[in-house]
Parts: sequence; structure tokens; C-alpha cells
Amino acid sequence: MSFEIAKQAIDYLLDEKRNFQEDGVIWDFIGGEPFLEIDLIEKICNYAKLEMYRRNHKWFNNYRFNFSTNGLNYHESRIQKFIEENHSHLSIGITIDGTKLKHNLNRIYRNGKGSYDDVVKNIPLWQKQFPKEGTKVTISSDDIPYIKESVLHLYDLGIHEIHINCVFEDVWKEGDDKNFEKQLVELADEIIDNDLYKDFSCSFYSEDIGKPLKDNGNWCGAGMMLAVDASGFFYPCLRFAAYSLRSKKPIVIGNVKDGIDQNKLRPFLTLNRTTQSRQECIDCEVAGGCAWCQGENYDAADTNTIYQRSVAICKMHKARVRANNYFWNKLYRKLELQGTRDDFEKNRRKVKPIVC
Amino acid sequence: MLQYLNILLDDSAVSFCHYEAEKEQRLMSIDTLRAGIRFAMMENLMIQYVFPDNTLPKEYYSVIETIDHFNIKRDGEDSDVCVVENWDFSKANANVPIVVRTTKEDLFQKYQLLNGIITQAKRINIIIKKVDSFNNDDFEEYKGILNALGEQVERAYIDGLSPQLNILTDRMMLKEMNNCGAGETTITLAPNGKLYVCPGFYYDDEADCIGDLENGLDIKNKQLYRLDHAPICRHCDAYQCKRCIWLNRKTTLEVNTPSHEQCVLAHLERNASRELLQNIRKHGTSLSMQEDINEIDYLDPFDKRDDWK
Repeated sequence: MSFEIAKQAIDYLLDEKRNFQEDGVIWDFIGGEPFLEIDLIEKICNYAKLEMYRRNHKWFNNYRFNFSTNGLNYHESRIQKFIEENHSHLSIGITIDGTKLKHNLNRIYRNGKGSYDDVVKNIPLWQKQFPKEGTKVTISSDDIPYIKESVLHLYDLGIHEIHINCVFEDVWKEGDDKNFEKQLVELADEIIDNDLYKDFSCSFYSEDIGKPLKDNGNWCGAGMMLAVDASGFFYPCLRFAAYSLRSKKPIVIGNVKDGIDQNKLRPFLTLNRTTQSRQECIDCEVAGGCAWCQGENYDAADTNTIYQRSVAICKMHKARVRANNYFWNKLYRKLELQGTRDDFEKNRRKVKPIVC
Repeated sequence: MLQYLNILLDDSAVSFCHYEAEKEQRLMSIDTLRAGIRFAMMENLMIQYVFPDNTLPKEYYSVIETIDHFNIKRDGEDSDVCVVENWDFSKANANVPIVVRTTKEDLFQKYQLLNGIITQAKRINIIIKKVDSFNNDDFEEYKGILNALGEQVERAYIDGLSPQLNILTDRMMLKEMNNCGAGETTITLAPNGKLYVCPGFYYDDEADCIGDLENGLDIKNKQLYRLDHAPICRHCDAYQCKRCIWLNRKTTLEVNTPSHEQCVLAHLERNASRELLQNIRKHGTSLSMQEDINEIDYLDPFDKRDDWK
């Protein structure tokens, strides 16, 4: 992305107060690897800060810069200088997939060498600077055997919050749900038997999931955010950009010059659960926490619509619900027997929800 | 439930709705026509033939007459619906519904031509082209025109007549949504032998079909054409709205979601109907059995979406 495109995008957002009435803003930088372009990012951030201040915009008092990084150059002086200058407005997540074996399955250099060792050496610095930050882990079919050991390994590295979810794409093989459930039950045993639940969390276990749903809201936040690509086109989420889609046409909702076509945004802002779900999902007794990605729904749909919910994740969600029930039944029984349930309720970790 | 099959007899068949029929002449083959009629018979569909301006070969007429049907033509003679373009009523037939296709500019300049016709025609359907081009000034202008036409209709009622002008009188008579129906009650057979949601989908992209006569109908995501799967419309009481499926897809990319402009136009009509109904009732008992139309504080139901949760 050129600085000029970024500048036009910032100007548009700050000019259009009528369409962006939120009290705060998160400027989220997504790569590739965003820190490879730290000079550009610093220039963009400085411009955003200056313009928010110059325009006396309410976001000047309530903004964050958000980064998801592979952590490889996290220690470099240019990155550290940027962090130092913006620390109170920064959220940085380093992506580490789990154990060395698991991480190096996918995260390799061009020459095939795994990147685990180079990432993990930056974890202590990152945790020192951002002790409350968690990491995000995405599970696909081949990752299932490594879930338990990977989560425990991330805890060992000092990361307290693990945001973890299954991919929404239809990648699941026969038996994946059973293996997934087994991993989550074994992980539950480890967390509970070793009292890890006191200081650590894993988003696979949540008391809110696995119940019938009464509310009719949309799960996904597409359309509630604005994504801009390197050419200056707007999307309801980057999952609708051409490079994120398998076969469908991109859904462009505007550009930095002409602004947002509000008509293109209407379907996103009126989406709800029932209008996009099949009857079995509406009636599902364990629907709570069953997530969907609007972009994947669109990509997998039989027609060019965001109103056809993909159900590829169904059997994985049900497996998660069974393991989740096991987790809470086991934990609460332990706490009851110990007489520590009240203490647990009082001191339980507040987990920052991450939708997508 | 499907009830109607539009058969476009030629690629240059007259447009009777929002879409533009911008193709060169290409006659449907007589075998396709026969197969289309057979399909309609098997699926229990009423046929609406859409005619081109030019005369068809003689043998087509005998095939056309092999089944009950409606004729949609520009020429009012022998038509069940006649279509007027450019406000040229010279070939119109007052005894059948007249579809007046107009640009907003022409409507703003020529709407008074309707004054003499409202009371004579069986029914007038105004179809405004390029609805998505309306801006706030246009909405104001349209509101004024609806009020002016409302006075004409009111006078006709005082004279004991019951004129039908879709943009003003339909809402007074309706108790529930009565919309486009494309993909739900009506489908279209094109000259290429393929089936489409409506003619607009065919003229936009011939590949965008929902089946053909050989392999049958295959409407994917057909629930999205129904009102209960339309997130905005199912909360709406502008019952007369076209809820044009083709315009929906064109403007918002979704068949079940109308544009802001379509919603505002429909609500200006709804509100004008409300006023008209109240005014007519002042003169006596006419329309006393019709349901009241409530006062509302919005023109686009999208703006009330937070109330639906």
C-alpha cells in the first residue's frame, strides 16, 4: 500500500463522522507481515494521530493500533522504537502455533527451515511489554493431534490467554470430530488436575457455549468494520477481497476516492441468524457458540449470497460442546469438593473476547 | 409457490418492468416455445407471453393459442397488459392494465398527462427506471407529484369512480405484502430455452439461469426470494412496494435486500396512500372497510433495524 492510499483512507474515515459514530477506533494492520513495513506503518500512524488531533476528532482520545505479527523481527530497533513511542495505544499479538514441531509444520522460511526458534526468543520481550496479550491459534484437520501439547506449551512460554478456534472452511475428515473431542478432554484433564485454570485460559472452554440460542444476532462482524486493500478498495472484511476468496467475485463496497456505497453495506448490517441459517441450525439445541465467518459463507454458498450459512464446522462444534461440558462438570465438582467455588467465581480470569 | 411463467418470445420482447431489454432480435424457436408451454402445463403455471414489437411468424400464433395465457405487448390491441414507453399512449388500450415505463425526468415533467387517463384506464402501473439514481431532491419532487396525483384520484372517488394507480391506490387495498414475486411465484423462459429468475437476470447475464427446459428448474437458495428471508422487507408495511428482486441484486448484491432508494420511494407512496385514504373517507363511506394505514416516522425501514432485535 502506498502512503497516499493510506492517507486517503484515513482522511475519508475522519471526514465521514456521520457514518462512523463509534466512540473509538482500532487501526488494524494486517500483512503478510506488517512489521516488514515498519517505516510505512510509522508514517501512517503518525499521520492518523496528527489528523485526529488537528481535527479535534473524538477518536484522538480513544484509538488503538493493532498488529498481528509472526514475531520474527520483533526485537529489532526500528520495531522497538515504534513500540516505545506508541505503547499505550498498541495491541500486538505474536502468532505462535504451539510446540516447535507443530509451529514448524507451517511456519517456515523460504529455504524450508522452521521459524520456531527465532520467534520463541522474542516471546519474553513481548510478554514483558504486553503481559495481558494472548495469542491466537487456528486449528485445521492436520493440527488436531497437537492441540493439547500445543496449548500446554504456550502456557509454559508464559502466555496466559489462548484464543483458539477451528477454521470455518470445509477441511474436516472422517473422525476429526472424535479426535478433536479426545484432545480437548485430555487438555481439560491437564488444566484441571494441575490447577492451570487459575491463571490460564483457553477459549475452547466457555460456559456460554452449547445451549439453545434465543437471540437472533449475527455472529460475524463483517460490515461492522471497514477493510481497505493496497489499491484503496473498501471491503466489509478482507475475507471479501479477491485474494481471500476461492471462486467468488470480491465484494467491493467502495473506495478511498468515492467512499462507501451504503447500499452494498445494507445486507451486512441487516444480517441475522435466522435469515441465513437452515432450519436445523435454528432449532439446534447446542447452537450457542457455533460461529460462522461471513466471508466463508459467501465463498462456499451455492449462489452469490452472504445469506447461506456454511455448516462445515457443525460436527467440530458439537465435539467442542461435549468436551466443554466435560470441562465445566469436572472443574465445578473439584471446586465443590474443595470448597473453593466461591473463590473461583470471585477471581476468575476475564477473557477478552475475540470474534474473528 | 410458483404460479406464473413469463415466456420471452424474442430477445427484443418489450420490457414491462425495471430492467432494460437491450438485445437484438432473436426469435425463440418454435420447438422451444412448444417445450415451454408443455413445461408450464406440467408445472401448472399460468403463461404470460412477452411480445416483441415486430409481428411473429404466423405458425407461432397457433402454438401460442394452445393454452390459456396473458399477452404482454406494447400494442394494446389483443393484449392483456400493454406497455407504454416515452409517454406515448397512442397504442395504449384503456380496457387493460397499462404499464407506463418512465425515467424520473420524464415523470417529473409529464406526470400531468396521467390526469386525463387515470379515470379512463382500467389500471395504470407506473414503473420508474433507474430507481437507484434518486437523490434527496428527487424524493421531494416525487412526494409532490404523488400529492398532486392524489388530488386527481380523490376527485375521481368523489365522482363515484374507483381508479387504479399502483403508486397510490394499491397500498389502500392491500392487507399484506404484494410484491415482485420473481423466483418465488414467477419465473421466466428466455429464447435460449433457459429459465431465469426474471427477464432482468437474463438480460444482465445469460449464464445466470436457474435451469432449462431439458433438465428442469433448479433454484438455488430459493428461500431468499421469500418474504420471511428478506431481513428488511419482512418488517415493512409498504405492501405495494415492487420489492424488485432484480433491482435488489443490482444495487445491494443480494436478492433479498432492497436499496435505500427503493425503500424510500415505496414509503413516499405508502404515506401518500395514507393521506389519500384519509381524504377520500372525508367525503363519505368509500373505503371505510379498508384498514387504516398508520403514521410512521421513517422512510427507510433499514433505519429502524435496531428495533427488530
